[in-house]
Amino acid sequence: MAGPANTGERTEQSPEPVLVFGEVHTCLLQHGQALTGRGAADLLRLRADERVRLSERPNLYVRSPDVPTGVDCHLPSASGAKVRAVGTVTARATLTEGRLLQAGAHCTVTADGPGRRRRWGHYLARPGVVEPFGTLPERDVADGCLGAGRRPGDLDLGAIADRTLTRVLRDRALDNQPPFKSQVTRLRWVALRAADGEGPSLERFTLAGDGLRMAELRLPAGIPAAAAAGLCHDLALHDWLLTTLVRMVERSRLGSTDGRDALTALRPAVDHLMHLWMPAARVDQPLRPLWEALEREPGFTRQWQILVQRIRDQLALQTAAHLQP
Amino acid sequence: MLVFAASDKGGTGRSVTSANIAFHRALAGDDVCYLDFDFGSPTAAAVFDVPSVMGGIVQGGLHSYLQGQAHEPVRLDVWARTEHPVLRHRPAGSGNLVLFPGDRSGGEFAVGNDSVIRGIDLFLRLHSEFDVVLVDLSAGRSYAVDLALEVTARPELHGVGARWLIHHRWTRQHVIAASGFAFGPRGILSGGVARGHDVEELRGSMRFVRAAVLDPETPPWSLAPPAQSAWMRTCDQGLHRLAADRGVGYSAMLGSVPLEPVLQWREQLITDEDVFSSRVAGPETLKAFQDLAGKLTDDDAWGIP
Repeated sequence: MAGPANTGERTEQSPEPVLVFGEVHTCLLQHGQALTGRGAADLLRLRADERVRLSERPNLYVRSPDVPTGVDCHLPSASGAKVRAVGTVTARATLTEGRLLQAGAHCTVTADGPGRRRRWGHYLARPGVVEPFGTLPERDVADGCLGAGRRPGDLDLGAIADRTLTRVLRDRALDNQPPFKSQVTRLRWVALRAADGEGPSLERFTLAGDGLRMAELRLPAGIPAAAAAGLCHDLALHDWLLTTLVRMVERSRLGSTDGRDALTALRPAVDHLMHLWMPAARVDQPLRPLWEALEREPGFTRQWQILVQRIRDQLALQTAAHLQP
Repeated sequence: MLVFAASDKGGTGRSVTSANIAFHRALAGDDVCYLDFDFGSPTAAAVFDVPSVMGGIVQGGLHSYLQGQAHEPVRLDVWARTEHPVLRHRPAGSGNLVLFPGDRSGGEFAVGNDSVIRGIDLFLRLHSEFDVVLVDLSAGRSYAVDLALEVTARPELHGVGARWLIHHRWTRQHVIAASGFAFGPRGILSGGVARGHDVEELRGSMRFVRAAVLDPETPPWSLAPPAQSAWMRTCDQGLHRLAADRGVGYSAMLGSVPLEPVLQWREQLITDEDVFSSRVAGPETLKAFQDLAGKLTDDDAWGIP
């Protein structure tokens, strides 16, 4: 029988995982209406042999089966060191409330591996695990994954995420009539092992240009890669919401133009975005404190609420203006 | 909306007019991107005054992307990267203005199924992000034109509106060439139909843009000696008749840009500053670009009730 598939566990053949990294792309589904659960499930059936997961509480959330991609290439590294690695990457797509489409790819890298390629059966039995040739310089590779010194030909999880996203967006069931224009955001993330006895932590979350974000986590042993990926999907989703709403309020020129114009520009926010905010709805219990840290600094929900309040105040003012004789 | 800028010949002001349309749409608050599909001689960077990518970029541009050598094409924020003295201060309320440069050594290549699929993904992606996606195609029935026709005919792009602007100069040869380029046996219309486009729908999505138009009724030409003036009027009327006969007349025209020394000698964006402050460009030129930018999405101009 094949070895255990749980990427968080240590086995004799597969050494200890020390680094997880991934990239998740988030965008508005290019469709006029929000999809129903059934429509979403049809859209995300990326594999015929495995079923789509659907959950309705606390919001409608549909997740595609995991799609493995075999890789044999160099890992990105900040120093330019060539670290060859072999294994499989896990990709998946999700749809939240029939509106927000995400596609992500991630993999776990073990501390070391043999200096030669094993038979493929070994890697196939460990979906989402990549083994380096020799010892993994984890800090160097983590920095490389976050973007420093990327070279063509290195393992590019962004490309795998992007391929998954475009595959879904090409679906002919979509009418390409989204209620508003918006950008795709990309979150690159790495999770290194926390020091013994330390709990999980979010070391940094930064915004780069062109919708690129970077996050670095520390995770204690035993937290599965899928949980880290789940947290990062959730972060990416809320970052997209915030980015998109900030941009929409900015574009509406709220306060400087005729209130009615601003309302027309903000209407899609009320119709399609404001009910989607639900931080940590699907984050595993041990990782919830990371969200709480983000709420303190920089204060995701605080900023969201201020924007929502501005929009509601504007609506109230316009209504009041209408009621005046 | 996808807008394809095409022309039969070079020197029709295709790039400079398209860049000005993009610029004015962005000023009005739209998010606009400009794709330099001018395989062989990418020029848009010069018009937008982004010297770092003048003549295209070394690699990672649109050609690399379409050939599968880059998983996404390089994009440049024009407001942030331009060295144009006026554009550097991004006006309040303006939309994004993004340039996708071509590769320096782009050149022509065949349309394969892979590049069509990459084209589909690219246009779908840009359509989701930008109000106007302006694609500057190289002159003639080029690879770029074929790719645009092929991709827009695919069912994946249903719901994504596409319009074609065919640029030509206001001369006898150019009118004839533009008409053949649009409606001739090897023209856009027949090429589109061969790829599955509906003939009437495609024809309805095509409009002509006249460039370097010399109007005998406005100065300085209206001040010419009587004999010259009469000759110019006769020629102009003859051109109008020719254009009407060839399907390039008023009803098929989206706008016309006057003969403008600034554009003849230096392809550039025309700003308020050029017209009202330094006064190097004529107000008619600015107005022509503003009109074109407005008509691009004005359904009346496209015969849509």
